[in-house]
Amino acid sequence: MRQVIKGNHAVSHGVRLSRVKVISAYPITPQTTIVEQLSEMCASGELEAKFIKVESEHSAMAAVVGSASAGVRSFTATSSHGLLLMHEVLHWTAGARLPIVLANVNRAVGPGWNIWADQTDSLSQRDTGWIQFYCESNQEVLDSVIMGYRLAEKVMLPVMLSYDAFFLSHTSEIVDVPDIEQVDEFLPPYEPEFRLDVNKPRMFGGMVGPDCYYEERYVMFRDALKVLDIYPQVCEQFHAVFGREYDVVEEYRTEEAEIILVTAGTITSVSRIAVDRARGEGKKVGLMKLRLFRPLPIERWQKVLGNAAKVVVIDRDLCAGLGGVFASEIRSALYPLTNRSVLFSFIAGLGGRDVTPEDVEGMINYAAANEEPETMPLFWGLKGDQGGNHAETL
Amino acid sequence: MQKLFDIPRDLMTEEELMQPGGLSCQGCGATLAMKLALKGLGERTVVVIPACCWTIIIGTYPHCTLQVPVIHVPFETAAVAASGIRAAFDVRGEKDVVVMAWAGDGGTFDIGLQALSGAAERNEDILYVCYDNEAYMNTGIQRSSATPPGAWTTTTPPGAIKEEPKKDIVKIMLAHGTPYVATASVAYPDDLVAKFRKVRRIKGTKFIHLLSPCPPGWRIDSSQSVKVARMATQANVFPIYEIENGGYTVNVVPEKKLPVKDYMEAQGRFRMISKEMLNAVQDRVDRRWEQLLENSAAP
Amino acid sequence: MKREQPFPSILGRVCFSFCQTACNRSPLDECVGIRELERFIGDQVAPSLAHPNLPGYHGKSLAVVGSGPAGMSAAYYARLLGFHVTIFEALPVMGGILRVGIPGYRLPREIVETEFHRLKNMGIELRPNTGVGASVTIDEIRNTYDYLFLATGVHASRKLGLEGEDESHRVMSGLAMLKKVALGEKVDLGQKIAVIGGGNTAIDAARTAIRLGCRVTIIYRRSENEMPAHPEEVREALEEGVQLRTLAAPERIELDDDGTIRRLVCCEMELGPPDESGRRRPIKKEGALFDVEADCILTGIGEIPILHYLNNMATIENGVIPVDEGLKVYTKGSGKARIFAGGDIIPIPHTVVHAVASGKKAAIAMDCDRKGTDYSDVLEEIALGDGTAISFSLYMGWDPVNPVTQNNRIVVDSEKIVYDYFGKEPRVRQEIQEANIRKRSFESHTRTFTADEAQQEAGRCMHCGRCIECDNCLIFCPDMSVQVKGEEQFGYAFDYDYCKGCGICFTECPRYAITMVDEETSVEGDNFQLSTE
Repeated sequence: MRQVIKGNHAVSHGVRLSRVKVISAYPITPQTTIVEQLSEMCASGELEAKFIKVESEHSAMAAVVGSASAGVRSFTATSSHGLLLMHEVLHWTAGARLPIVLANVNRAVGPGWNIWADQTDSLSQRDTGWIQFYCESNQEVLDSVIMGYRLAEKVMLPVMLSYDAFFLSHTSEIVDVPDIEQVDEFLPPYEPEFRLDVNKPRMFGGMVGPDCYYEERYVMFRDALKVLDIYPQVCEQFHAVFGREYDVVEEYRTEEAEIILVTAGTITSVSRIAVDRARGEGKKVGLMKLRLFRPLPIERWQKVLGNAAKVVVIDRDLCAGLGGVFASEIRSALYPLTNRSVLFSFIAGLGGRDVTPEDVEGMINYAAANEEPETMPLFWGLKGDQGGNHAETL
Repeated sequence: MQKLFDIPRDLMTEEELMQPGGLSCQGCGATLAMKLALKGLGERTVVVIPACCWTIIIGTYPHCTLQVPVIHVPFETAAVAASGIRAAFDVRGEKDVVVMAWAGDGGTFDIGLQALSGAAERNEDILYVCYDNEAYMNTGIQRSSATPPGAWTTTTPPGAIKEEPKKDIVKIMLAHGTPYVATASVAYPDDLVAKFRKVRRIKGTKFIHLLSPCPPGWRIDSSQSVKVARMATQANVFPIYEIENGGYTVNVVPEKKLPVKDYMEAQGRFRMISKEMLNAVQDRVDRRWEQLLENSAAP
Repeated sequence: MKREQPFPSILGRVCFSFCQTACNRSPLDECVGIRELERFIGDQVAPSLAHPNLPGYHGKSLAVVGSGPAGMSAAYYARLLGFHVTIFEALPVMGGILRVGIPGYRLPREIVETEFHRLKNMGIELRPNTGVGASVTIDEIRNTYDYLFLATGVHASRKLGLEGEDESHRVMSGLAMLKKVALGEKVDLGQKIAVIGGGNTAIDAARTAIRLGCRVTIIYRRSENEMPAHPEEVREALEEGVQLRTLAAPERIELDDDGTIRRLVCCEMELGPPDESGRRRPIKKEGALFDVEADCILTGIGEIPILHYLNNMATIENGVIPVDEGLKVYTKGSGKARIFAGGDIIPIPHTVVHAVASGKKAAIAMDCDRKGTDYSDVLEEIALGDGTAISFSLYMGWDPVNPVTQNNRIVVDSEKIVYDYFGKEPRVRQEIQEANIRKRSFESHTRTFTADEAQQEAGRCMHCGRCIECDNCLIFCPDMSVQVKGEEQFGYAFDYDYCKGCGICFTECPRYAITMVDEETSVEGDNFQLSTE
């Protein structure tokens, strides 16, 4: 049924439709309305789940570690500082191979306090072992919750889906909310092979020495890479039931493109307009939207980007001392290629600053005008002495 | 046959839920405590262990000394992970399974207090056991907020021995309205087993503060650990009591009251306590004991 | 019980129960009434019951001279060791001090007679009215028997050392008076009696005199605390109306011409510094004289053996016969028999229980001698604790009656008991007759425990050093290394593969039934030995 709903409510519906049994979350702007709606759903019986209203995000994550270990489908949602507080348990969850889905509303990290869109929070969790998806629309958010469980439970790794604060979390879009029976067809009940079971006592998460730990981590790495094979199957099954599909990357007008933009989250939507305009002007410009970020779909990236002369990566995140996280990862993905593209790394829109189609056009033009790659990122739209919509090379 | 403790022989000889071969130190109170706790709880129990001595004691992969399901969780999460497990077992319809968080004093008094407070406030139907060895023993004897005043630890070395009183965890738990709060000691095994039996029948959060001597940390010979635990109760330093829905019962009234000095002199860790501090501790112990008797006398 | 202590009915009445003094229960409340329990057990045995362990004879013979407790004991054990035994007794009645020294109210005659009846049933020949040195000579016996055990006891009393004491029929030894009364002879005491001395003979004499209708004052030179007599005896004597005048000593006896006593002059004493016995030395208060009214003076200041019958065949030192470790006498002259001695004629404390012990020891030593084994070596094997006591069962190699064996060399003193595990329980007392009733009779004034009383009192025993399966070690082992042996066997087994040697079981064993052995020095290589094994 098509409804006009906000991104956060798309999450709640995704959780409801996935028949999640245990939820634990702690409110944080801009995730709060997820928690509120899930509370209502649980209270009304629309969703038969236990909602553990904990005292912190750390506890929220730990609570679902407990429930998932006992073999029950579990969910949590957070944002920014909340995600950072979870950090320890994020590692734990992946190491424990628990198929939890976490919705993270991408929000800037303080200080100073900033509640607006910024992807640094989830990108700084990229080494925790979680599968990461970045979503562009409310429909994609809802679908990613459902797909997330299917995938997570197949590879026994947790899934984090991220989407931008306010641009999606609090923005209403038309979303096709499927019937639960339809979802049931796609997502079978969760019954893990190993769980806390008084009839079959086992120990989970105990100490492992140097003789075993290494292999344990290797197996986790290997299974994470399996996502690259399994995810297309999940996509196919999802398409068969719902008619929608989400590839690990989405190509937009990349045919014969000389310049390809790389974006994640809502900047993608803005960039589509810029690409259309550029194509209208006869420029061979395309777009690659990043959806699956962990594990890295390196081969797909190479395939899409390998033929472009120039790659423009727009990061709404910043790693101090490095630059854009996406740019860095793209750069390393392209490194094995003999005929490498020139990579332009732009930082833009931190802390929820608007990134307009014109900004993206400016970045395209900058890339078109410059032949040499920059070693440092270009900060688009900095105010002050550097003022105006120009890149600043540090 | 003369019995000292009211623990049936068949309970002691039935198939053990704890197996030998644990990696505890000699004379470990925490190990003894687990053995006795499981005697009381029985096999339909899940044990949640945060970072603590028991992380090690239970054995390293692939060994495990317990014959009940066990999950290890991050240091500060015992109470909340237990809450999650409780929720899952409830959802699965296995409401009779006891979910027991088994944490040290560091994981309870300090780093885990927030999660514990949260769980207690929500009145989660879990059993939370703090086996209190009065310092961070697993990391090699560092001060915790459960360390008693006058005690040496590696972070309260000579010249800086701990002066602050031990945090009153029982009162903290009571302040949450927790339906069952009790103390127990390895020196009184029948009382301990009875309490772990009893909690099976109580809904809501159950908290047991369990004194668990640590020979290396307390600077005592391993053979003395039960004896020193007994002295703690005889000296009223660690009274054995329970508070059920607000009603106090003192379970062990020591026949002979020992001066705190005797209890402290039995251990090496108090060797540097000053006379003034000792007197202050004795005063506090006396006051608290009187208060406890008063509370237990109240209707 | 009779393996180690053959006369429980006797010792259960007259023993001054040194065992009770050592009882670990004393620091908790009061010692266990071991003597009363012994008496109860002894009285349960039917007088005619045949001895179950009676062996055949090996051909060697033993003459026991004296039928007191030492002689009885030596005869009993020697018979169990296969000796032909004959007991020589000078008096017409058997039992020595038990029969003619200890008054009947403490030890009824029938009890002694029953024991002799039993000894006779074991094949021991009893020869009363056969005084050695009178009816037979020591040399005769020495050449007839293979072994000789001298146990003639003490029959002479120490003198007061006062002028006139030998010149009056009204000044006599307490012992002589007791003997006369026991043999039914008439004694002429008068009305008012002064008993000199603070030992058990003095008390026995005083209480006997009370029973003969006299008024009695005991005169003792130190204070009541220093009295060597058993406190219970003193208390009962006082209850019966005996007057006690302490810190006083006789100074002078003035006699009338007919030998009756005109005056007994005493001197007040005070206590000085301790002497070699550890008690404070009594010192005369010069000039503090006073009179004590007395028709008769009974002395009880110590007894000494009469040994002239030995005809110089043995060394005598300080009035007693020195003996070796196995109670063998250093003999002079020649003769067939190897000679041993026991009881009050050798340098041991003058008590019934010490006498019985000496008889046991001598019997074992004689058997060793017969077999040609070295008694010193044997002693190592059969000693209990520090070796003061020895075990006949161990010597015989009998299986223990109790399934739980103990390390015989470890004395479990009160330091080793964990009193936290024991609650207070009042001691069960033997019923005793009122003083004014009992003082009119020589009948026993205490009643043997009933079965219920005995059970209750026996329940107070803490079983020091002996496992009773209290389960403490099982409960407290943190390493699950204590296992119950099972239905068939008693006690616990230790799983040394998992035992970490923490020692909690050892510390928390209420009764020291577990011993810990250093792994490094242990011969067996075990770091633990459980005494129940």
